[in-house]
Amino acid sequence: MKVLVLLFRSICTLGIFLFLCQPLAAKEAQTIDELVAMFDDSKCAECHEQIYKEWKSSWHAKAVVSSLKGMHNFVAIGLAKEWKTELTKTEILKCLDCHAPAVEYASEKLAQEIGNLIVTAHKDKDGEAGKKAKAELAKLNVGCLSCHNLKATAVARGLRGKPEKDVIYGPNGADTDGAHKTMETVDMSRSVFCMQCHGIYKAADGETIQCNTLSGSYQNTYINLGGSKTCQECHMKKGHMFPGGHDLETVAEGLGFDVEITPYQHLPGKVKGVKDTKKWVPSVIITAFVKNKTGHRVPDG
Amino acid sequence: MVLDVTAKNLDEEDPEKQELFKAQKIWFEIGVDLDRDMRYGAWQIKEIIDLTLPPMQTQKEQYLVHFDTDTEEVEVEVKLSYFISGGKGNVIYTTTKQLSFDTD
Repeated sequence: MKVLVLLFRSICTLGIFLFLCQPLAAKEAQTIDELVAMFDDSKCAECHEQIYKEWKSSWHAKAVVSSLKGMHNFVAIGLAKEWKTELTKTEILKCLDCHAPAVEYASEKLAQEIGNLIVTAHKDKDGEAGKKAKAELAKLNVGCLSCHNLKATAVARGLRGKPEKDVIYGPNGADTDGAHKTMETVDMSRSVFCMQCHGIYKAADGETIQCNTLSGSYQNTYINLGGSKTCQECHMKKGHMFPGGHDLETVAEGLGFDVEITPYQHLPGKVKGVKDTKKWVPSVIITAFVKNKTGHRVPDG
Repeated sequence: MVLDVTAKNLDEEDPEKQELFKAQKIWFEIGVDLDRDMRYGAWQIKEIIDLTLPPMQTQKEQYLVHFDTDTEEVEVEVKLSYFISGGKGNVIYTTTKQLSFDTD
């Protein structure tokens, strides 16, 4: 009898221990609202109002709804027609691991639902169903915790380990008077951090996805030619708005433009097709110098 | 990114006949699949053909333009536009110069 009691107690203790040791990943959201609540960015705004405001106007804040066409095509054409593969969480994460990293914590069913919402939102964009789907999808984005937790340690996972639950990772690990636990991660101020998504994306199964190729020219040309600025040095000049190709001021800043227009008279009889071959021919030399001052190719696809 | 160079005859009143010269240089990249067929889908693109302007590089585009012997007033315009997506382009820089030629 004593052995049975002891065995029962041991099983209970082990059960409680395993329950308490569950990582964040073990909890899977069943609805978009549940997922949003798990990574609630609005809490951040309570103390970081200005940063939150900047982020709200960034493309990160609309990373799903601004890319519906491409993601729709991946699901409706890529998966359905070309690969003849079912829409699964693994497949949709090939888009959403970057466009909405929180989806990593969605249940299989929810991830598939999100994939279907993407199709509806694009296919029926002017219809009621499409608008409703888009409104739901607008809740998903590259939010505060996407960078400051979920992706924070991903570029040096072996060294840093998995991101800890309820910890906010930042480049300086500033004290928050107990508002949240903070951990310093220099990784976030390095280009390689941005390159997780702003470059060729390698999915878990090895598939390469090329939404853009910025990191390729940054690493292989800019750095190779002696450049040493980080992505953040230029693209965080306006804080968490992360201006890039959509911001004309940033585009102009990245390009040099110099034009020389020099008129002259060309020697008579040397240019065919003119009205009077005995007259000097009005001519001009137009020279444009276009300089790429950025750390990556321009434009990028 | 597109560089447009135009020269217009300012003495010509008909807008359709005003244009004396037009040239365009486009910087872009072509996404290709493993068969080197051009593709647009991110999942289809495995390599690129790079016709963009590389970082830290200045490219020179030069044009020698001859006008007819009776051309007196010409306006040259050079503009650089950036296309963020599809057909929506924004002019980033423009330079315009009016030229006068002595035809006597």
